[in-house]
Amino acid sequence: MASFIPNLESAPDTCPEFKRRKRRITDEKPASSHSHQRNQRIKRWRTQREQHIYSSKLIQALRRSRRTSASSSAAKEVHETADRVLAVLAKGTTRWSKAILTARKMARHKKAKVAANTRLRKPAVSREKRKTPVVQRKLKVLGRLVPGCRKLSFPNLLEETSDYIAALEMQVRAMTAITEFLAGSGPQPPADRLASNVNS
Amino acid sequence: MSSSRRSRSRQSGVPRITDDQLAHLVSKLQHLIPELRRSRSDKVAASKVLQETCDYIRSLRREVDDLSDRLSELLASTDMDSEQAAIMRSLLM
Repeated sequence: MASFIPNLESAPDTCPEFKRRKRRITDEKPASSHSHQRNQRIKRWRTQREQHIYSSKLIQALRRSRRTSASSSAAKEVHETADRVLAVLAKGTTRWSKAILTARKMARHKKAKVAANTRLRKPAVSREKRKTPVVQRKLKVLGRLVPGCRKLSFPNLLEETSDYIAALEMQVRAMTAITEFLAGSGPQPPADRLASNVNS
Repeated sequence: MSSSRRSRSRQSGVPRITDDQLAHLVSKLQHLIPELRRSRSDKVAASKVLQETCDYIRSLRREVDDLSDRLSELLASTDMDSEQAAIMRSLLM
């Protein structure tokens, strides 16, 4: 007897309401998990552990490269090393970090990798008429400031910017700490320190 | 709803951004910038938020420039030996 009753709920796919709802859900789901991943990544930059890992790797890299640098470009080399270590730490998850590493590879091997990358990169649709020209202009400037992000849409650019800023802030904290350490335990011979203590 | 219908007719899959989405993204950006975090107002203009963002990134990079300069000097003068490096690593870890 019960089997005669048609079970409407058993065939939901045929219902147009459900179809529309289903499509919307599948559209939203990857976005929310993606943004969760993104937030986790950004939070990572703010942890002490990440800063320590960065500082340690930076010091190793600086010790290795110091032997080859001339004094005039030493500061620039330090900055480049600091950026490279930062990009490596990002583990290839962001555009800006990949752009930094690619640029370095280009300088060394002189291959046309950048040309290939720009061909593969999808151009963003930039016909957002609702933004004023001022906003558009500033977006362009921002896109140029974040490495490898010239042609991103605003949502993607925002994502890269958030990560980039968090990483830069960590870079400043780490390098400040290292500088203070080196300046503190600097070239003070212990004998002098002892002498001044005795005299006062 | 109407904007999503319009975006489907475009050749690429990039959806057109609505006013609400733009405002939302701008407010997210606002929270990243210390200057703007201090002002409790949520209604900072998009152009100002973007300007402050650009300025902030530039100032961060300038700081790293100065720190790199200082670090290169310190590294040259202290000639960090393996003992110092070990001390530093243990302090950091």
